[in-house]
Amino acid sequence: MQINGEWLLCDDGVVRPVIRGEILTNERLWQPAEFLVDTGADRTVFSAATLSKLGLQPIVVQERLGGLGGLIDAVVVATQIQLTRETGSKVVFRSQYAAVTAVEALDICVLGRDITGLFTVLVDQPGNLVCLLGQRHRYTIVPG
Amino acid sequence: MANQQVPMVMEEITDPEELAKARVQRARFDRNSAWLQAHAKEVYTRYRGKCVVIAGEELFAADTPEEAWTLAATAHPEDDGSFIRYIPREKVARIYANQRRVAAM
Repeated sequence: MQINGEWLLCDDGVVRPVIRGEILTNERLWQPAEFLVDTGADRTVFSAATLSKLGLQPIVVQERLGGLGGLIDAVVVATQIQLTRETGSKVVFRSQYAAVTAVEALDICVLGRDITGLFTVLVDQPGNLVCLLGQRHRYTIVPG
Repeated sequence: MANQQVPMVMEEITDPEELAKARVQRARFDRNSAWLQAHAKEVYTRYRGKCVVIAGEELFAADTPEEAWTLAATAHPEDDGSFIRYIPREKVARIYANQRRVAAM
């Protein structure tokens, strides 16, 4: 299994690894969202701006997330994230996900190790490559 | 949820009808995303501190996500490939990592 992303130009002129996917709303519709591939993030986190469109009822209303910015308020929602395989088929990840509640806290959703930990993660800027590899897909390092 | 492993279920969608619908939506999403990349410099300069929704390959900016979504839905009610970004007020180095949960006391 191969799930491809790309390096996207962000507001500060920096390119960052992003995988595009969809999040299931309370109306059972798929809402598109961009996910920063963050190999250091413990968990997947939705931005408050994206959360506002999902209409999901939080199952935990007073979660807190810690990072370099200190503690920030968050909620937890039960939903599904859908990513696209190299074949064009879809892979769904059903779980509970945190979402920050302050818009300024996160400009983009974050794909954390609850999902990326299921894959080999390739984040290669010189090679212009962002992808998750699973099942029978492998990669090889060739000595230069 | 704090400090405990949350179950994660991964499954593949194989229903052809559902996949066809998803492909159409994804194509719209890709077009909107490409539009933002093509206009990144202008958008990121002009809309600091705003929420921007890209729908129908157009930008809709507002102070809150709800307002931005409403503007976009009014102009392009058919576009299910729209997405939102918050444009931070300042350009600063960002550390997204270590989103560690802390148990409430």
